[in-house]
Amino acid sequence: MISIDFFVFISAVMFSIGLFGILTRRNVVGVLMSIELILNAANINLVAFHKYFGSDAGQIFAFFVICIAAIGSVVGLVLVIAIYRSRESIFTDDFDLMKW
Amino acid sequence: MDTFIIYMIGIGACVFALLTVLSRDIFHSAVWLALSLLSVAGIYFYLDAEFLGIIQVLVYIGGIITLFIFAIKLTAKIGDKTILQANRQTLASALVSIAVFCLLFKIMISHPWAVGTPGAEMVSLKEIGKSLMTAYALPFEFISLALLAAMVGAIVIGKTKK
Repeated sequence: MISIDFFVFISAVMFSIGLFGILTRRNVVGVLMSIELILNAANINLVAFHKYFGSDAGQIFAFFVICIAAIGSVVGLVLVIAIYRSRESIFTDDFDLMKW
Repeated sequence: MDTFIIYMIGIGACVFALLTVLSRDIFHSAVWLALSLLSVAGIYFYLDAEFLGIIQVLVYIGGIITLFIFAIKLTAKIGDKTILQANRQTLASALVSIAVFCLLFKIMISHPWAVGTPGAEMVSLKEIGKSLMTAYALPFEFISLALLAAMVGAIVIGKTKK
């Protein structure tokens, strides 16, 4: 059995990669993909803690996180489509309507 | 042997995640993301969370990746590979994410993990269903409400004006 460190390490690496993606992507769809990576990193941690500490709360929480991720990406992608219709662009640099 | 496989799956998940973030073509990004999520499902199976592994494959690869590909194809003019996909803050962002990683790593190695019994017995699907309906009934209902709100909101935002 591998120690829990490996899974926590993988989770930290994936979280940092997702953060990098959110900061660098110009495309809103790419930003949403990075958010999915971050939520998955959190989920790996939850499932690993479930396995190594023997409580079923980890799995239930991971299940809720997957639901929230689905909700987030559905609403996010619909917003992308709506913004694309009105502004003909999906690049974050072009969305300056609410900047002063 | 299965130790080697789980190491490969874990490293693969990270490499595919990196390719998702770095790929020039946003469609390729979606495919790399699917592979990364599949590797995460493999990790769930290794950690005896079969239910979550199956949900991961169904919801993410079956649903969310399909949605991503639809969104990319519906905005196809812009998903062109000649257009720069990263902004001009790449170096600063890399520094920030490496700093966050170092912080997480420091916390990880300084924390003594009081691991109980590794390989605790598997929680069956029946038990998960029972605790969803008893101990976690309130969050479960809130999740259903949030899903309903997301569905209605998606239809309202997405519909075209006459």
